[in-house]
Amino acid sequence: MKHKPSLPYLLLLPALALLVAILYPFLTGAWWSFTSYRLNRGAPVPNWGENFLNLFSSGEGLHAIGITLGYAVVVVVLECVFGIGLAMLLNYVGRIGNSFRLLIVLPLLLPPVVAALMWKVMLTENGVVNWLLEAVGSQKLLWLNGPDSALWSVVLIDVWIFTPFVVLLAQAGLKSVPKELSEAAAMDGAGPVRNFVSVTLPMLMPVLVVIVTFRGIDSLKMFDIIYTTTKGGPVDATTNLHVMAYLDGIRNLNFGAAMAALIVLWLLCYLISFFLLKARRKEAFS
Amino acid sequence: MSSTVVDSAARTQGVHVASGSSRRERSKRLRRAAAVAVLTIWTVFALAPIVWILMMSLKTPGDIVVYPPKFFFSPTLDNYVKVLSGSAFMTPFVNSLIVTLGSLVLTLLIGLPTAYALARFKFRGRENIAFSILSLRFAPELLIILPLYLIFQKIGLYDNYLGLILAYQLVTLPMLVWMLRSFIEDLPIELEEAVAMDGGNRWTAFRHVLFRLIAPGLGASLMLSFIWAWNSYTLPLVLSGKNTQVITTGIQQYIAYQSIDWGPMAAATVVSMVPGILFALFSLRWIVGGLTAGTVKG
Repeated sequence: MKHKPSLPYLLLLPALALLVAILYPFLTGAWWSFTSYRLNRGAPVPNWGENFLNLFSSGEGLHAIGITLGYAVVVVVLECVFGIGLAMLLNYVGRIGNSFRLLIVLPLLLPPVVAALMWKVMLTENGVVNWLLEAVGSQKLLWLNGPDSALWSVVLIDVWIFTPFVVLLAQAGLKSVPKELSEAAAMDGAGPVRNFVSVTLPMLMPVLVVIVTFRGIDSLKMFDIIYTTTKGGPVDATTNLHVMAYLDGIRNLNFGAAMAALIVLWLLCYLISFFLLKARRKEAFS
Repeated sequence: MSSTVVDSAARTQGVHVASGSSRRERSKRLRRAAAVAVLTIWTVFALAPIVWILMMSLKTPGDIVVYPPKFFFSPTLDNYVKVLSGSAFMTPFVNSLIVTLGSLVLTLLIGLPTAYALARFKFRGRENIAFSILSLRFAPELLIILPLYLIFQKIGLYDNYLGLILAYQLVTLPMLVWMLRSFIEDLPIELEEAVAMDGGNRWTAFRHVLFRLIAPGLGASLMLSFIWAWNSYTLPLVLSGKNTQVITTGIQQYIAYQSIDWGPMAAATVVSMVPGILFALFSLRWIVGGLTAGTVKG
């Protein structure tokens, strides 16, 4: 079909306008990250990179970066293992899998804040989970209130909410693995493990890229679950970059430091999405 | 027909090699039972917290705080009455509806032409524009929201429906464009060309052919956007004050004070789950199709 060369740009105009509009707060924030801007102390005064230097040299900054990266890796690995495993089981059991799937997916549909709140209720000292632990003869745990257990408790909540996301996508991906292929591999003497590694996994790769992109980035910038349950605590046991930026910015009104943390976090997210999505796009059109 | 023939043939064959194949049959059944068992365990893990909160929402204050926890109790609807009749929950609930629906309308107006242009035209900078829009989804929310907080305060959009609706585009627009684009790309362009051959223009082709074909996908994308906007927390936490508090920030008020109001909080939690679960019953299949478009072959 013929069209005027300006037509696509005309259709894109509202979106482009929005993108340009977003540039304003973005650039403003980027500028703040190079200043010692505090809300109640007049205009931003540049301090050229001191915020970034602080972030990478102070104990708190490095701690937050460590929490951010560690949390993302643990959460993505756990959710991929559980999610792909469950998806394969769902496909394996046949029709009954559909009913299972509907139930398994439910946690994904709640607001994460609400789900986190639910877990917070259950993980209190006299909550139902501790009661269960005592019932099987174990000790009560501190869960979200323990300096060592808080982060793992948040991981537990994240896995509970977002494993279904992996299940849904992995199941769709598994459909593209031809049965004949794994049957042929089995004929040639490949065991289930070998079969999974050499047949299923490569075929699953494109979907896995999407999964890792979404879950990776969302867990790098996890805020909802952590802030609802622990507000970054106890002390700073669960303070990742995103939570730290919120506490710096909204509570301490130290916008310079907050924006520096956010810029670093954003670069992390952006790099991942850039590489993974470029790879995906290429794959889709080849 | 033919399958029954094959089936019965297989069965007669099975009689001949009875002992070997029945052992294999048994181990297959065992493996299936094990699979079902694992799935059941995870399902219990997934449902238990929801069931627990549901039970809690039906308890009296006395039954809630008692230890060991009660599994059998006489249910009451008091908590729901309290939540649904007071403004503490209903105001945020209505605010959530206003902001979410407003965001969806705006997203649709911006997103539909964008997705169409990205899917159907080849032009310079196309992939860069597409990636820029999508990258909004991948930026940490506070990166934009924190500066917006001060900007909105200056220009009077702080604690304001319009301000929230504009900010919510960060959540709703990228994914709507991304998914709609794949839906449109999946449809053969020949359909629209046929309309053009018959003398129709691009607009009639879009209205009469394409729009109808993408309608289910569009509906599903809108529902997903609804859920994302409804669930959004960081944006309203920073950008809404007393007047525009939404459900995700409003629900925290039960827990914000020294004493936690467990019963009403549980009831509010249950009510706020409803939109998501309704959505699940409609359009799960479409969503997965949209997110994985281009990656799943065959």
